[in-house]
Amino acid sequence: MSSLTSAVRDLQRELENKTNDLSKLQKDIAKNHQVRKKYTVQLGENELVLKELDLLNEDANVYKLIGPVLVKQDLAEANSNVRKRIEYISAELKRLDATVQDLEEKQNSKKDAILKLQQKIQSIQTTKGKA
Amino acid sequence: MEDTRRGTVTSLASLFPVEEAQKAANRVQGAMAEKRAELDHLLGFVADNNNLINLVHKLPEELSHEIMVPFGKAAFFPGRLIHTNEFLVLLGEGYYAERTSKQTAEILRRRGKALDSQVDSLEAMIKDLQAEANFFGQTIAEAAEGLVEIREDYIEEDTHGEESKSGPLKQHTSDLEKTEANNEEYTRMVARLDELEKEEELAAESGNDNEIYEQTTEDDFHKSVSPVDQSNNKSIATESAEKHHNPDIADQLNFASLDLQSNVGEGKNAAAKKVKFVDHTGKPLIHHEEKTVKATTASKSEVQHQPSQPSFDSHKAFTGSIVEHTENLKTLNGQSSSSTSSQVSGSQPSKPVSRFKMQRR
Repeated sequence: MSSLTSAVRDLQRELENKTNDLSKLQKDIAKNHQVRKKYTVQLGENELVLKELDLLNEDANVYKLIGPVLVKQDLAEANSNVRKRIEYISAELKRLDATVQDLEEKQNSKKDAILKLQQKIQSIQTTKGKA
Repeated sequence: MEDTRRGTVTSLASLFPVEEAQKAANRVQGAMAEKRAELDHLLGFVADNNNLINLVHKLPEELSHEIMVPFGKAAFFPGRLIHTNEFLVLLGEGYYAERTSKQTAEILRRRGKALDSQVDSLEAMIKDLQAEANFFGQTIAEAAEGLVEIREDYIEEDTHGEESKSGPLKQHTSDLEKTEANNEEYTRMVARLDELEKEEELAAESGNDNEIYEQTTEDDFHKSVSPVDQSNNKSIATESAEKHHNPDIADQLNFASLDLQSNVGEGKNAAAKKVKFVDHTGKPLIHHEEKTVKATTASKSEVQHQPSQPSFDSHKAFTGSIVEHTENLKTLNGQSSSSTSSQVSGSQPSKPVSRFKMQRR
């Protein structure tokens, strides 16, 4: 009987650990989602800027706000900068997507493990009860 | 009807527990509130954008504007706004472009369009959420009332079209008795329909007659089976469904001539007809109270009216004059109406009028 109880206790401890891991995973996934959202918004904005820049004449003045300073920029330079930024953001998004997938898989497997543990605990408890 | 069918009764409350439905409804409400807040935000942007467009439009009207220039956090000093046609427009991501007022207005308009599309998508989402909320509300109400979902097996029966419905029928448990009462009426009606159908089949045998009969009748032409009667003495007896069967019979009685029948081309079972006619009249038509009287009188006088004809007419109420075939105009018994008979006689036109037009009684 005592061995059973200790076994149950062990299992329960394991269950706790697993649940903690699961909650951590879930937090990570949530953070990931947030960062993804931010990047998506930035990407949209950059695309808008690119569109407007394309509509500008060659001789139009473009300024960039760096801190409190408005710096005059070359149209071509501005164009290339914006394009590079867009590429960077898309790459980031893809990376984040992969991470999210990974995290979700881990989360699912953790859930399964927890379920199994719970079932084991239950079965042991029922046998204990019967015995 | 219903008792013979097997079925299951499930309370809606078990399918959609009230508390859970309530929770879901609350969740949907929360989501809707969020979306509405976002929508308001966006609408604020749209308004600002429009104001800006107006301002940008107005500024170049003057070479310079007299304004109060903000100085620090809490001070202003009078100044002038110059270069009224040059605007540094924020394109996004810290990029500014120098543009004229018209170009700026263009940029702003494009931005406004993007905002509008965002607003539209948000509104669509809100509508969907609304639909969801309605559904939840409904289910909650129904489950609370104790509505019951009743499923019955569907048994194929030709005569009874829709008696058994497969699929859920929602009914209040308390109303089950009423439903059964309705079912009885329904059964009766269906039975009548069946009879009428049979008559029709019989009528199909004697085809032509129907045309003639159709000419007449004004009122209630409940011809569910109408033309059928003619040929069917037997069926006639069974077909009580015809309301105005009697009047037809009465009319026909007036004619009382075999010739009529032959002319019309209906079946000639003169002798049989007579008998049948009586039977006919005696049929328990559904609404044949008044007509019965007529019919009986008519039957007496009538010799052999083709049952088919009367049967046809039975469906109609005769309120008009009787027009007879020239040949058939033999005996118009006074019962119905001398007038009509005279009419009939006078109107022995060549045109094949239905003899069934009986005078008014």
